[in-house]
Amino acid sequence: MVETAETRAVPRVDTALVHAHGIAALVTLLLSVTFGIVVAFQLIYPDLGAGRPWLSWGRLRYSHTQGIMLGWLGNAFFAFLYHAVPILSGRAVTSARLGHWLFALWNFAVMLPGWVLVLSGVSQPLEWAEFPLAVDAVVVVALLMAAVQFLPPFFARGLEYLYVSSWYIIGGLVFTLLAYPMGNVVPELVAGASGAAFSGLWIHDAVGLFVTPLALAIAYFVIPAATRRPIYSHFLSMLGFWLLFFLYPLNGTHHYVFSVIPMSAQLTAITASAVLGVDVIIVVANLLLSTRGAGIIPKDAGLRFVVTGIYCYLIVSIQGSLQAQMSINQAVHFTDWVVGHSHLAMLGFASFVAAGGLVHAWQRIAWARYNARAINYAYWLLVAGLLLMVVDLTIAGLVQGRLWAGGAPWIESVEASRLYWVIRAHGASWLLAGGFVALLIGLTTGPRGGGWQAVDEGVGAAPVDEIAPALQPLEGAAS
Amino acid sequence: MSRPMGRAVRKAYFVASVAGVLFFVMSVALLGVWPRRVIEAETAAMSPEHTVAMSASALRGRAIYAREGCGYCHTQQIRYLHTDMARFGLPTLSWETRFDYPHLWGTRRIGPDLSRATGTRSADWQFAHLFAPRSIVAGSVMPQYPALFDGAPDRPRQDARDLVTYLDSLGRARELAGPEGEARAREACNCPDDEMKQMAFGDQVNAHPARSRRGGAVPPLPAAGDLARGQALYGERCATCHGVAGAGDGPGAAALKPRPGNLAAHEYTDARIAEALWNGVAGSAMPAWRDYPPDDLAALVAAVRSLDATRTEPALPAHMAEIGARVYAANCQQCHGAEGDGRGTAAAELTMAPTNFRQQRPTLDLSLRALRNGIDGTPMAPWGSRLGADEMLAVAHHVRGFFAGGGR
Ligand code: HEC
Ligand code: HEC
Ligand code: HEC
Repeated sequence: MVETAETRAVPRVDTALVHAHGIAALVTLLLSVTFGIVVAFQLIYPDLGAGRPWLSWGRLRYSHTQGIMLGWLGNAFFAFLYHAVPILSGRAVTSARLGHWLFALWNFAVMLPGWVLVLSGVSQPLEWAEFPLAVDAVVVVALLMAAVQFLPPFFARGLEYLYVSSWYIIGGLVFTLLAYPMGNVVPELVAGASGAAFSGLWIHDAVGLFVTPLALAIAYFVIPAATRRPIYSHFLSMLGFWLLFFLYPLNGTHHYVFSVIPMSAQLTAITASAVLGVDVIIVVANLLLSTRGAGIIPKDAGLRFVVTGIYCYLIVSIQGSLQAQMSINQAVHFTDWVVGHSHLAMLGFASFVAAGGLVHAWQRIAWARYNARAINYAYWLLVAGLLLMVVDLTIAGLVQGRLWAGGAPWIESVEASRLYWVIRAHGASWLLAGGFVALLIGLTTGPRGGGWQAVDEGVGAAPVDEIAPALQPLEGAAS
Repeated sequence: MSRPMGRAVRKAYFVASVAGVLFFVMSVALLGVWPRRVIEAETAAMSPEHTVAMSASALRGRAIYAREGCGYCHTQQIRYLHTDMARFGLPTLSWETRFDYPHLWGTRRIGPDLSRATGTRSADWQFAHLFAPRSIVAGSVMPQYPALFDGAPDRPRQDARDLVTYLDSLGRARELAGPEGEARAREACNCPDDEMKQMAFGDQVNAHPARSRRGGAVPPLPAAGDLARGQALYGERCATCHGVAGAGDGPGAAALKPRPGNLAAHEYTDARIAEALWNGVAGSAMPAWRDYPPDDLAALVAAVRSLDATRTEPALPAHMAEIGARVYAANCQQCHGAEGDGRGTAAAELTMAPTNFRQQRPTLDLSLRALRNGIDGTPMAPWGSRLGADEMLAVAHHVRGFFAGGGR
């Protein structure tokens, strides 16, 4: 029998929901990126927007990060979960109905009202928590629904069968549920410095307990699935997993070094940050060793995005460990260096991996359009934009830090930044916008089922039953 | 895979899962709950005996600050670092932020820290700056907020007034606490050997280099400033208010009260210009420029002098000089001083220092206008209805006679 896309389709994967969340992810991505680009331009043309409140820098800046984290990454993660959970657990997700509700809630009761409210001036001045409390309540409900949707399939089979991606999914969903209310509500109830201590925790937990675990779940899934070889070491994968969940939450206070928060808390966080760097090296080594044979820049588009994201993960984590140390923190804190760092994390690591997961899942939807050329363009544009932006902002940060330490009049640091802001706005942001638009084109044009074709031309398409064993712990390693 | 193995793995995972949750709980306890207890104890012990709660207006201003994301360009947290302290003042103590629900510490500084904003900028500066930042600070990238105004910077709506009230409350409690407050906090800290904590106590709560003050000692500047450098600096930093030619008609000028000085219609001594640069002009929007190196300040002095467009004025008949001296002694001396040095008996009580005529000489025309109309926004009242035309002319001449800069 000739293999068609249909015969290879994974049973039980609700491709409609993968697709819906994927499209929502791309749409919210483009909106969030637009907000980001406008604020980048406002730093060189500050009167852009002509003082209209809903176009003012602060409100757009709030919308930018909430959109990236919840809209783009949230939807992309859900899309990936609808693809991966059935394959990992051998069971369908809890309910398609629930899925429709989750989709509707996330996009029309979180993102839409969240943005409208922030832009009209109802928000929280808390980083990674800018949507107002009413929207936060919906987020928590939606996260609970996501837990009900995705977790039971894992438990039905028993913990000992869990592959590391499954652990990351469980960990990510459970810990986000714990951390989200802490970050969004506690600072409203606890004043000043104490509230800031909790905010610091959340700033790190948002990245460490929501974004990182789900991105790593994708990486651990896509690498073996695309190379069709089991992961290099299941032991290291689990070691990395547990260390990560132990260490990430302890990092938070490193956002407030030299502050009035008790020094022992600061030192705990600084130490945890250093150890976390070591853990990340373990995780990344394990992931990269698992790609052996696929090349430094793999041919398969999904894999290539993921692997590039993992490179960024390594760099950004080592950078993070270093900049938590007092001597470096002193030189770069509050500067654009940190903005470069967070883009290396959220764009370089999380978004590349999420895009890789999305492309990977898309390739395996029989009826989804897939335009390999556009995706190739997307990749290179994004790499170029990311590199330019991070290098640019890192240098900008060093320049600003030096001027501040030297006691120069403040405005000189603003004027000295202009060159770097021009490069970011006129250079990096167009490359990145082009890349994201190309990604949207890549996943909405081209022939239906074109994904399989692309896979065939790469490593060769394999039916899912051949991939699944690569995703089993213990047995998978043994077979 | 054998069953016992499965069970062992399951047990191990169960233990690890519990440990994972416990680690999260531990992180919250260690880095959230415990610091909170320490901070609250510290707050209770260190805060001054009588603290001022935020006014309703300041609270509304705070909400505007929060909603507009001011905190993503401005921090409100001075760290225990000498570089922070030199620029902004003493490190932020926990009790200073105890009314902040939620905190507004911030993690990025595109603009300067604002935790010691109180008294740093005059209200007219704040309004003009919020309405159109670049009309005041040419190189600023701060957004404009015209929606807080009724069409013009001198017509602030309630929102703008609340916001400025809020800005002016930042760091005020610490300043009001005064030396007694510092002593009390230092004692409560009970940390004589903790070098870092000791950094938080001192006498200069606010170290903002732009904060204007009256009568601060001015360090000696190099004698001859670099004129070209000074003119470039003047164009970047001063022309927004004083105008390109120094006529006091820059884009930001209209909204300020008093209006920026007309630098072209004055002769100044170097010392007067240096004084205005180092201390600012308290009671007006004229900031101080203490963050500029002495060479730059000397260059600015040269640049201001180069703006001088005054001409020699015709001398007065002798009998007029007498009238001038009489009118002056009767009406002006208590403020401007018997010697015209601005140190009259009433001077110290005024919101703004009376002009020291020994160090600056207005043109006759300017002098007459100041007399006739007063200077809006200052204690200098209009005299047009109280003095006759002769008297005005005479005393306007008279005050010019004090100038000690002579001929330079
Ligand atoms: C895009 C970043 C940005 C935003 C948003 C922003 N500012 Fe600024 N702000 C600046 C910069 C840059 C400066 C320094 C240049 C200047 O004085 O304009 C500044 C200066 C100031 C100053 C003078 C401080 C000093 O010590 O000299 C005040 C006060 C101020 N801003 C208040 C606000 C308020 C209130 C808001 C919100 C309504 C706000 N800013 C929003 C960038 C910003
Ligand atoms: C925010 C607007 C503003 C800026 C910027 C500004 N000034 Fe002023 N300046 C004023 C105001 C207002 C006064 C007070 C006028 C008065 O005393 O009535 C003043 C007063 C002065 C005086 C004293 C003049 C007098 O007649 O009393 C000098 C000298 C001066 N400024 C020089 C400068 C220089 C040099 C710069 C640039 C480094 C500068 N100013 C920047 C607003 C400004
Ligand atoms: C209540 C105190 C007070 C009295 C009385 C007073 N002045 Fe003044 N005068 C001031 C102050 C304060 C200023 C400074 C305003 C400023 O810097 O913008 C000033 C400014 C002036 C100026 C403008 C100087 C300049 O360089 O721009 C002139 C001229 C002047 N006074 C003349 C007089 C004369 C003449 C009298 C008496 C008829 C008089 N003043 C009475 C307080 C007073």
